[in-house]
Amino acid sequence: MALSYREKSLYASLVAEILIYGPYFFFHHENTVNKVAGMIAAIIVLQLLLQALIALFSRNRMTDERDRLIELRGYRAGYLTFATLMVVGLALLWFHAAHGSFSLNKPWVGLHFLSVFFGMLVLADITKTVTQIVSYRRAL
Amino acid sequence: MPSIRNQIRELRARREMTQQQLADEVGVTRQTVIAMEQDKYSPSLETAFKVALALGVTLEQCFQYEPRGRR
Repeated sequence: MALSYREKSLYASLVAEILIYGPYFFFHHENTVNKVAGMIAAIIVLQLLLQALIALFSRNRMTDERDRLIELRGYRAGYLTFATLMVVGLALLWFHAAHGSFSLNKPWVGLHFLSVFFGMLVLADITKTVTQIVSYRRAL
Repeated sequence: MPSIRNQIRELRARREMTQQQLADEVGVTRQTVIAMEQDKYSPSLETAFKVALALGVTLEQCFQYEPRGRR
């Protein structure tokens, strides 16, 4: 399977996202603001390292119109995922708040919202990367 | 299947060009040439002209438009 520079870069992004964000979902109850900040710093560092390594070992780093089209397709899928999760999340919040099963006055509410919004961003990002990989594998 | 078909593979073979050579001449990646040859990607008009030019044929000899449902 001959992978282009962009494909290698996408697989590296997916690995970085799963490695860094994976624990976030499995240890959700232990999340803190510092952990979220640490995760963002870690993903930046890991992405820089992986992308630099791929660039170093790739002779042809050229991108063309098909790459740009696939990139746009990925961003579209990511945006739709984020927008859908946002609408569902707001509807659930309204539902629980209206029925009195969720109080917005509790001290942990801020962290809870940060955690949920960050999770939405992560899912949208992973959807974007997976959509781009699938587009490359199906030729478009 | 797309409604734009092409003869890139046949024309390239006739000129004894590799996919990489055609890609370099047109300014796209080899993966894009592969996708075009497999009729999985319809290029932009500009790239289509460049492909025809690189293969030494007219646009019509290289690409054909077939409206859906007529095949």
